[in-house]
Amino acid sequence: MVRFTVSRLARIVVTVLAVLTFAFVLARLTGDPVRLMLPDQATQADVDAARHSLGLDRPLLVQYLDFMGGAFRGDLGDSIRQGQSALGLVVERLPNTVELALTSFVIGFALAVVLAVVAETSGSRRLRSTLMWLATARQAIPPYLFGILLVLVFSVSLGLLPAIGRTSYASFVLPVATMATFEVALYLRLISASFDESRSLDYVRTARAKGVSRGRIVVRHMLPNALLPVITIAGINLGVLMGGTVVLEMVFNWPGLGRLIVQGVTDRDYPIVQAGVVLIAVLFVAVNFTVDMLYAVLDPRVRLS
Amino acid sequence: MTQATTRLRSRTQARSLTAGLVGAAPSLVVATVMLVIVALVVVVVPFLPGSDPYSQDLASAQRAPFTSGSHLLGTDALGRDLLSRLSLATRTSLVVAFGAVLISMVLGLAIGLVAGWRRGRLDAFLMGVADVQLSIPVVLLLIVLVAALGSSTTLLVVMLGLTNWVGYGRVARSIAVSLREREFVTAVTAAGGSGWWVVSRHLLPNVLPQIAILAAFEVGTVITIESSLSFIGLGIQPPTPSLGGLIADGQNYLQTNPALVVLPALMILMVIGGVQFVSQGLSTRRSRR
Repeated sequence: MVRFTVSRLARIVVTVLAVLTFAFVLARLTGDPVRLMLPDQATQADVDAARHSLGLDRPLLVQYLDFMGGAFRGDLGDSIRQGQSALGLVVERLPNTVELALTSFVIGFALAVVLAVVAETSGSRRLRSTLMWLATARQAIPPYLFGILLVLVFSVSLGLLPAIGRTSYASFVLPVATMATFEVALYLRLISASFDESRSLDYVRTARAKGVSRGRIVVRHMLPNALLPVITIAGINLGVLMGGTVVLEMVFNWPGLGRLIVQGVTDRDYPIVQAGVVLIAVLFVAVNFTVDMLYAVLDPRVRLS
Repeated sequence: MTQATTRLRSRTQARSLTAGLVGAAPSLVVATVMLVIVALVVVVVPFLPGSDPYSQDLASAQRAPFTSGSHLLGTDALGRDLLSRLSLATRTSLVVAFGAVLISMVLGLAIGLVAGWRRGRLDAFLMGVADVQLSIPVVLLLIVLVAALGSSTTLLVVMLGLTNWVGYGRVARSIAVSLREREFVTAVTAAGGSGWWVVSRHLLPNVLPQIAILAAFEVGTVITIESSLSFIGLGIQPPTPSLGGLIADGQNYLQTNPALVVLPALMILMVIGGVQFVSQGLSTRRSRR
């Protein structure tokens, strides 16, 4: 277990270093940030002075080490437009994105488990295939598109819910419904696929032969085995969830990280974009580390191999 | 006589086509219908008279579908013909998606086969690169790349291609790893076959079918990503119409002319749905065999 933990931790460190290096290299490809910060009529002397004060005239290696050192102290440079710490601005917006993603995940996952168990217990093939068809159809619709269609129906036509902003609990309904249905579709398909495989296995047949009720077999015997691989997928899927949420924030004008990053691209405020992506990558790596550890605790085969 | 035979032949062809369609899964029929509609819009519309996706006519702006004789599906806020914009947007999305899938497929095949064949440090390094890349969500990775490098359509194809190779790489590698231990590979090596010969003549043909199935699924994924980027304004840039861009424009007119959102949305659903159901049908047929 110790060896497993250490090897996973080492991988995290390498990944974070690589992400930071990638962000640094890309920043050098954006062209000269000084030209963007200064007005058009600035003289060459002004430009040189600004370059010097920002340390852009030093050797690349020195700049790189400086950047990495700063990153470990939580300093990813200042926003060009707002002059404040880029990481600070990004962290400030993070909760708004996480609350959206987390609520959607919890609701979607719970609903998927309930639907899969109900469909399996009922034994109805028609119910199963209908759910499967709905899940596939939902997965074919990109989140932003589903969000707009919900707005069209529930805000524009029916006038029931607010279309944009984050003002009341009602404004959570449409964005959460968008991402939650996406999550339901994913986990429903995964759990059902696992049920399909285990239905004819020995341990299920034995339980049935002992006279265990159908519902109990599904909940106590089949479900725990089905959930094990789902944990790994959930960790990997977090990336898709975050990506979808980032784009969805543009639909609902949600004051989250995604809108800040996209605004950063439009404003050519690279430090904001950089800080946002580094933060999300670090979060993503941390969550996947937790998932790996959880998996190793739950399944001895992983930590012993 | 010849006319009669042609008629007869076309009738039997039609019958065998219906029989084939009835025998196929209903989702495959639906998917085929969707893709046929998409193909018609992409191929036929540009040849219709008066279809210019760029010409503006403010006098006839914001026409609803089926209300104007010269614009079948109506016009947008600048009076541009919606049907021809849909046609060009769909074509752009498809070209971008196929180009990107091709790039990722070639890249993934090359990296995966080399890693699986050589193993050792090179393998560990290449798969490490894949892990690092997966630690940034694809959409975000593309947003950073666009922020740093800008977004022309060609650049977009390349960036989409470079960010989606990992899936192909892993599949190609895992098949190569299991194949390199097999007798036929040992035999080729013993007979003096070089590494390049084994990889290109023996591993590649065995990997291709799996990769092709993955690619079919990926077309839908890439179209989703591209249209999301274009929707938030970081993908295909105006004035070139794109499906995501059309929806972003139309979002401002949800109250007055919902067709500006609904029609491109339908188009995206038909493209992604059609591709997904067809590739699903193909892969189940293959696994059944």
